[in-house]
Amino acid sequence: MDFQDKVVLVTGSSRGIGAAIAKAFAGEGAAVAVNYLTNAEAAEAVTAECRKLGGEASVFQADVTDNDAITGLVDGVLETFGKIDVLVNNAFRPYVFDPENRRMFWELDWSDYQTQIDGALISTHGLCKAVLPAMKRRAQGSIINIASDLVARPTIPYHDYTTAKAALTGFSRNLAVELGPFGIRVNCVAPGIVYPTDATRGTKEDVKDMLIANTPMRRIAAPKDVTGPVLFLASDWSRFMTGQTLYVDGGLVME
Amino acid sequence: MTKGQIINAVLAFMGRDGATDDQFNELALDLFAYQFENNSPFRQFAMQRARTPLTTRSWRDIPAVPINVFKDLTLSCCAPEDAERTFMTSGTTMGGVRGKSHHPTLAVYDASMTKNFKHRFMQDHETIRMGILFPPEDIMPNSSLAHYLALATGHFGTPDSRYLMREDGIDFAAVFAELERAEATGEPYALLGASFSFVHLMDEMQGLGKSFALPVGSRLFDTGGFKGQSREPGPDEFYDQLAARFGVSRGDCINMYGMTELSTQFYDWGNETCPSVKSGPHWIRSRVINPLTGQDVPRGETGVLAHCDLAHFNIVSTILTEDAGIEVDGGFLLLGRADGAEAQGCSMAVEEFLKAAQG
Amino acid sequence: MTERAGYLPGLADGDVEWRPLEFGRADETVKIEVPVLTDAQMKALVERVRVAGRRHLKSMPVARIVDIVDRAIARLLDRDDPYRKKAEALLPVITGYDAEMVRLGLTGYLKTFRKPGLNRFLAEDFTNPGILDGFQPMAKGGVARAFGPDVLAHIWAGNVPGLPLWSLISGLLVKAGNIGKVPSAEPLFAGWFARLVAEIEPDIAECFAIVWWKGGDGLRETALLREADVVLAYGGNESLGAIRGRVPVTTRYLPHGHKISFGMISRTTLDARKAVAAAHQAAYDVVRYDQQGCYSPHVFFVERGGKISPRDFCRYVAHELANFEKKYPRRALTIAEAGDVAAWRHQEEAKALAGNDSEVIGGPDGAWSVAYVEGQEDFSPSGLNRTIKIVAVDRLDDVAPRIAPYKAFLQTVGIAAPPEELYRLADRLGQVGVTRISALGQMTAPEAGWHHDGRFNLLDLVTLTEIEHTAEAAADGLAPYVD
Repeated sequence: MDFQDKVVLVTGSSRGIGAAIAKAFAGEGAAVAVNYLTNAEAAEAVTAECRKLGGEASVFQADVTDNDAITGLVDGVLETFGKIDVLVNNAFRPYVFDPENRRMFWELDWSDYQTQIDGALISTHGLCKAVLPAMKRRAQGSIINIASDLVARPTIPYHDYTTAKAALTGFSRNLAVELGPFGIRVNCVAPGIVYPTDATRGTKEDVKDMLIANTPMRRIAAPKDVTGPVLFLASDWSRFMTGQTLYVDGGLVME
Repeated sequence: MTKGQIINAVLAFMGRDGATDDQFNELALDLFAYQFENNSPFRQFAMQRARTPLTTRSWRDIPAVPINVFKDLTLSCCAPEDAERTFMTSGTTMGGVRGKSHHPTLAVYDASMTKNFKHRFMQDHETIRMGILFPPEDIMPNSSLAHYLALATGHFGTPDSRYLMREDGIDFAAVFAELERAEATGEPYALLGASFSFVHLMDEMQGLGKSFALPVGSRLFDTGGFKGQSREPGPDEFYDQLAARFGVSRGDCINMYGMTELSTQFYDWGNETCPSVKSGPHWIRSRVINPLTGQDVPRGETGVLAHCDLAHFNIVSTILTEDAGIEVDGGFLLLGRADGAEAQGCSMAVEEFLKAAQG
Repeated sequence: MTERAGYLPGLADGDVEWRPLEFGRADETVKIEVPVLTDAQMKALVERVRVAGRRHLKSMPVARIVDIVDRAIARLLDRDDPYRKKAEALLPVITGYDAEMVRLGLTGYLKTFRKPGLNRFLAEDFTNPGILDGFQPMAKGGVARAFGPDVLAHIWAGNVPGLPLWSLISGLLVKAGNIGKVPSAEPLFAGWFARLVAEIEPDIAECFAIVWWKGGDGLRETALLREADVVLAYGGNESLGAIRGRVPVTTRYLPHGHKISFGMISRTTLDARKAVAAAHQAAYDVVRYDQQGCYSPHVFFVERGGKISPRDFCRYVAHELANFEKKYPRRALTIAEAGDVAAWRHQEEAKALAGNDSEVIGGPDGAWSVAYVEGQEDFSPSGLNRTIKIVAVDRLDDVAPRIAPYKAFLQTVGIAAPPEELYRLADRLGQVGVTRISALGQMTAPEAGWHHDGRFNLLDLVTLTEIEHTAEAAADGLAPYVD
């Protein structure tokens, strides 16, 4: 897959899945905008690796839940790279995945839901809106939102988190309809639990074993497993796909 | 890089005869970055093409500015009022609007011109007595050709070299006196000027039944084509007539291809056959491209010429001309202006519309 | 493979000099041989057509001619017919247009000439088409009959497949002897049609001929022009001017110059539901025959104030053009044509750089380009070959004065607007020279009987012979039955 001359913005790409996605794009020759919130050092490291892999990269600090920061981020990327071909909305609000100590439905207030919904959607909404003029101007673009396979199969009911991700897929489908006539595609990649990331480092072995037992491919996803489908949805190979969700969980969910 | 660093880098590169592709590429990209940073209309142009220095790795990917854009925009890294000199196009090709090239210093232009001129026109001469069929620089301070010819006479002309133009045109008597003197003394002579001036001169000679046999080592230099200012002979006819009227071989008739939008010129090695192969020094590279896609046309096919001139450091180094050409061994064939297409259907084309609208 | 163009009754193939024309695209090449007639051959051919036309066509009822043409068109519409197969195979290679676009375009166009369409052509120009067969009563009194010319010369131009049919069929309907000169860009279709008609009705096989000469060959042209009674010519003003110089003063000359067409999109169209469909139709008009038709749009004037801004409409159009490029790829351009498109695009880009909110959207490899312009914009042609300009305007009513200076070049306007506005705009557009208003998406498919460039297809070709009332009355006095 050739991403020479393509410009990719990955939110929250200083670590975890985001970093893996950034590096994967760079490995195919893309110019990658590495966005981070706090960890400048990690972001610089990702950028250095991107360059080593044959791509181009620059870091962009921005709190993607803040509209002004988003505007600054998109302007900065455009000034640096001239365009944005691909937006990967990967950043999400920190969440503790703990199957034993998760909160039961009756322990959750609406504000817990609201926090997650805001976390999943405010940044995505803001970024999609902000990159739109640049994508419309070129009559093309690919937006990829990172959801979760829990939406289709809540193996463990993280109510607030999963509801927010479900909202994200709904958001993406509507946006796909709206932006199709502009040549802009919107899709989701929905990984299962990805290990190791900062969010899942605490996941217990028996939980992983339980998931593995139910997964046809007999293992848990690594960050690198997520990158392939993201690159595919970003590429011209998927040029006639929009509004889709690709599940990346070894076959745990089949739709 | 600062302006000073850029100038030094360009001058150093021009002195480095065996420069490699990589070295050319590196400096071309540095210039792109410099012009991108310091020349905001050019930056906007590059952004429109979604090109920035960070996403550009080869000089071939630097967006080439179409020369008609020169008339609309101030393309300069320095403030135009800080320019040591501003060259302007004659306005013949752009509907009367004159494109401008600002030069903060002429040092680079002059170095480019003299080094290349010595190699391509002077060849084994150190100096030669010159006659110039073009107005002097003080009359036409915005003409790059006037400056060019001043450099030629100043650096390579013998002290008695002279301009052979009067306000009302060519000073035929003076020309004939010079040519007769050369014939009599056997001292090699060089006559330099615009192509159309040679046509005017030859028309006059024809009327008087005059012709000359210039001494061995003499040469003629023409440039710029006819621009509707004289009759327009075909290239073979033109060089045959030059050879016959002045007694020099077509191989000693050198044509220079240059433009205000560049700081470096192309030459042929004489016009024994036409179209002759044009080439430039190592600090300029040319591509023959499809002007719409920007891609190189297959070798041997006609396309439009794009040049990347490292010496044109202050404006834009990479330009897209309106000249048709073919890439060949050792350079390119220049085929003249790329003309509009013939109508395929019954829909009106721009050119016909303009003609019709003017009545 | 080699195909011979033209149709030369009375001349054996062996007696004619044939000149090869090569056409090619991708890995297909076709050799077409076109006839080069001597002066004497041309003269003889014209004479043969004149005589045969007088003898066979002039006495044939127009209904029969309609029938013959209808049968010829039916065969061209039949995808199993050898002529149709040949057209589908060769025309895309010759013209470079996408094969599917040519196929669909031919079918849509040819349908215009089935019997109901032909009757419409007749009805449009003659209250009583019987006037072509015999003397018919006139409203003012007396009777009249319409006679077509003995020799009608057609000088066709351009590569839009089938275009010559419009005037050739018009000529047949008025019972003219027809000599048509095909352009080098598409030399085949007229000849095929002629052969088909000759096959269907051998009686009139010598009433028409299809010839060729190299464009601008004044000598050969003159040979035909001085023999013709009426000359119909298509082309640019320069060539039309040259032809005018060669047409004898007493000969009727009907030139059709190159034209500019455009579209208008009212704000009422630009809601969340209808705007995309309108963009699709607009793009379709651009894509059809790569804007080479006189009815092809160069500009769309788009009204502000709808839910979808003109700018977003422009981007919808861009995406639709990208889609059409996948469905009906644009023909490969010569370097000169690419240069024209590039020049247009560079000019529009320069405007955008000048910072007046303009923008240019272009497909990869320049397969299509859309320029968006706000404010006062000089009306000018596009770069053709799928280059279109979207001009945002406050009110569509303001457009007519802007295009008024170009009266001589205007033709079709595709309009998307509610009825009241449609009529109001049509009124203003008509005043500044627009002759045809169509729906968006239909700009390139004029309906049967369309008055090309606002003129009469048939009426312009004929002369009327009137028997005035007084003559009738006087004759009555001489009748054997007079009391």
